[in-house]
Amino acid sequence: MASVTVLPALPKNWAVPDSPAAQSLAPVVQRKLIPAGSAYLAHVRRALQNLSFEAHDKLIEQDR
Amino acid sequence: MPPNGPLPNGSAASPVQLTTPPILGINLGNSYASIAVFTKEGVAECIANEDGERQIACVLAFHGEEMYIGNQAKQQLVKNAQNTITGFRNLLGKKFSEVPQDKLSVSTPVIQHPSLPDTPAYKVKVLQPAPSPLPATATNTPAASQVATPRSEPVEVERILTVSEVTTIFLASLRQSAEDFLGRKITGVVIAIPSWFDDAQRQALSKAAEDAGIHVLQLLDDAGAVAACTSDSADGAPIDCTQLIVDLGASSLELSLLSIREGLAYALATLSDPTIGGDEIDSKLIRFFAKDFTKKTKTPLTVAPATDPQDKRAEAKLRLAVEHTKRTLSASPGAATCSVESLKDGLDYTGSINRLRFDMEMRSIYDKVYAKVKELAESAEIDLYDIDEIVYIGGSASLPGLDESISQGFTESVITSFKAGTVVGGGVGDPTTILARGCALQAHLLVSLAQTSSEELVETFNKESEATSVAATSRTIGLLVPQEDAAGSLGGIWIPLVLKETPLPCRRTLTFEVSASGANTKVGFELWEVKEGVKIDHVKPPKLDDEDDEEEELEEVKEKTLTKEAYLASLSLSPKNP
Ligand SMILES: Nc1ncnc2c1ncn2[C@@H]1O[C@H](COP(=O)(O)OP(=O)(O)OP(=O)(O)O)[C@@H](O)[C@H]1O
Ligand SMILES: [Mg+2]
Repeated sequence: MASVTVLPALPKNWAVPDSPAAQSLAPVVQRKLIPAGSAYLAHVRRALQNLSFEAHDKLIEQDR
Repeated sequence: MPPNGPLPNGSAASPVQLTTPPILGINLGNSYASIAVFTKEGVAECIANEDGERQIACVLAFHGEEMYIGNQAKQQLVKNAQNTITGFRNLLGKKFSEVPQDKLSVSTPVIQHPSLPDTPAYKVKVLQPAPSPLPATATNTPAASQVATPRSEPVEVERILTVSEVTTIFLASLRQSAEDFLGRKITGVVIAIPSWFDDAQRQALSKAAEDAGIHVLQLLDDAGAVAACTSDSADGAPIDCTQLIVDLGASSLELSLLSIREGLAYALATLSDPTIGGDEIDSKLIRFFAKDFTKKTKTPLTVAPATDPQDKRAEAKLRLAVEHTKRTLSASPGAATCSVESLKDGLDYTGSINRLRFDMEMRSIYDKVYAKVKELAESAEIDLYDIDEIVYIGGSASLPGLDESISQGFTESVITSFKAGTVVGGGVGDPTTILARGCALQAHLLVSLAQTSSEELVETFNKESEATSVAATSRTIGLLVPQEDAAGSLGGIWIPLVLKETPLPCRRTLTFEVSASGANTKVGFELWEVKEGVKIDHVKPPKLDDEDDEEEELEEVKEKTLTKEAYLASLSLSPKNP
């Protein structure tokens, strides 16, 4: 991944692109996760308990 | 040394024991098994059995009153093949009528069980101790007194074992090895299985494990064990990466292509080929040594295949001997030897081969693996250039020549354990220990989970769980930072944010500093969905001085490309005056 930490200034002549913003993203695809590892656990916990990423972060903090 | 350090005697509830649950990870291959436990340092470690083996041959042999398990049992293939059982893992959950009968067998044949319908089994001869001549009053007699008691000769009997029973005996011995090592009873186990294991095979394995006194926490696909092992550890791969798993075992090649996104993994494609593996490597290698033997001794020897009984015996000996040769070749670039006492006609043999020559002999096998890798990538519509990391598992994937020949088709920056130097010396990239270690990590996770979480959450680790279904992106989304003099066609610097094949919901965070001076300057970016591709050019290779070939071969040069697909949003900010 490109590692840009400094956001350079926009060119003087930059303008918001003419084309209207797309209404939706490209269609999603259905996949089957491998039920392994702590990332999967975090994913299903968020889904089951209907937690946002931030709320889940807080839970993890509390568990420590 | 005791694995958990010097514990005071009899301290059943030491704090160390509380923090390291006695779990076990098992890699049960068709040819070799390995086991790993969780150490008090919090790492999963592949351990040796009491014979000092980390790669434990999946072989059971009966000789007289003795039963051998593992590599000792494998030795019995030379003189006692009819009482030696191999290849049982792949027969789990199969009916006798489903077992291919045409396969040339070097061990005891698979037979129809005499009483159970359509059940594969093995028949071996064992010596049973004759009943004690004394009346059965010995229940409370100390064992020592029995030694002096004269007994009649043991009697030879036939013993029938089902595939399930053999597996149970074998798994129980693995459990025992781990318990001897830890000094505690194992409470939970994760076992790795191939992706093609169906429900009947899974059930048969679970049952055999339960019969061995093993509490199975999960049967985990090999790829899952790899993910558990590699997604948490810092192996240098980007946090979002496409990973190729090359598993080269003894009798098969298994390939998987995984999308790994911040530790979440799923398979994009899998492929298995039961004709490529270590057995074929052995065949080529023993033919090489047999030829050498004939050259040195003028004694004819034809192996792989052998027809003459003497040659068959010699082949069995050579097959055992090259095991050592291959491991030496993997571990060091120098020459490796192969020694067999009384190979044929009472003649001993010692020969050697170096890595260069070995790789030459194996070229066609490496090429076959590479062809299968390309086939797999094509089936997933992925270019080899899109693959960030290759993970090697399986014993035969320890051969550096395999990595050298495969990784040539990938980008120069592709990460492999060979490049990283983590293969030898039991490093984290050691292909022979990853599966067992991954299973141990997963077992540890599941045990902790069972203690702290709801049943519902634990259930999501079932293969059938709905929770494994997920929607994923099909295009990469990223930031375009417009720049006047930017290289490439996008008109700016491209910063990928959410790669295609990322499970949703997802979160990605980037932190920037801004560089803006003057009141009218602005900073910002556009958000785009892009299409990725690979452009292939054929160019003339740079001319070497004295090479003046008329017919120059064009060299393939690949370059990753990006095309803007959909504009999503943009953001521009003016720095505020302090
Ligand atoms: N260091 C090594 N170098 C080269 N080959 C090795 C090495 N260690 C083991 N092997 C070979 O790897 C093979 C065993 O691989 P592995 O343990 O992955 O088998 P498996 O998964 O049980 O096999 P199968 O493909 O039959 O299911 C054997 O052919 C063995 O000789
Ligand atoms: Mg295997």
